[in-house]
Amino acid sequence: MSELNLILAGFLLVNLLAALWRVARGPTPADRLLAALLFGTVGVAILLLLAFAGGEAALVDAALLLALLALITGAAFARRIWREEHDGHS
Amino acid sequence: MIFDLLLVTALLVSAVHALSTPDLFRAVMLFIVFGLLMALAWARLNAPDIALAEAAIGAGLTGALLLDALGHLHRKRRERSP
Amino acid sequence: MMGILEVASALLLIIGAVFFLAGTIGLLRFPDVYTRLHALAKADNLGLGFTVLGLLLQAPGVAAGMKLILVWLLALAASATLSYLIARRALARGIEPWKSEEDER
Repeated sequence: MSELNLILAGFLLVNLLAALWRVARGPTPADRLLAALLFGTVGVAILLLLAFAGGEAALVDAALLLALLALITGAAFARRIWREEHDGHS
Repeated sequence: MIFDLLLVTALLVSAVHALSTPDLFRAVMLFIVFGLLMALAWARLNAPDIALAEAAIGAGLTGALLLDALGHLHRKRRERSP
Repeated sequence: MMGILEVASALLLIIGAVFFLAGTIGLLRFPDVYTRLHALAKADNLGLGFTVLGLLLQAPGVAAGMKLILVWLLALAASATLSYLIARRALARGIEPWKSEEDER
């Protein structure tokens, strides 16, 4: 059972590598942020899978924290950065 | 094994990009991504407590604080040169 | 001989991974912010939801299961709030929603 968990975690990591391309290239700041948010969610899923594959229950707490703090990052972006005239190339 | 190799590749790519880009916002985003991947690496190294700390500090709080600082920086810059 | 619970768990996990893949492809291929937001919401809600459901069948006890569901609910709340914030901000900045060829005519 834990083999499937590990394989799926690896598959999600490949997804992350593809999304990294969007973070590096994304035309507008919002695209970069959305890719970073996807990183957060997929990171939560990978942590959960690893927690059940390795039997480390404490990793679920780390996933919980990650899900919580993605909100703070996104809110800081929407309320602090993007209200200014910032074209993404400055 | 493949999982670890992919993780190391992603870590190196994001770190090099974050250090070499001239765009501050892009650097902050890549720093957040790097912190997340680092948390995964700690989880993989059987250190769940450090993974917890890295997820909270590296990916979450520092990222938000840097974004806040960047917002202040842009506002200052606009006031100086309207 | 795998039990029926394990088969169901594996199936749900694979469905979740497919939704994550769809979200990533959407993020890479969609034309503007609003459509990418849509793709991200699919990965957030359904991908993580199915993953949590699949892992729920492997959970050792009630407390661990409750914590898994809590993770999913937090991710749901964060995703909904952020989608609203970002979409409203994008509209306020005057970013035009993408239109297909047929809409233009």
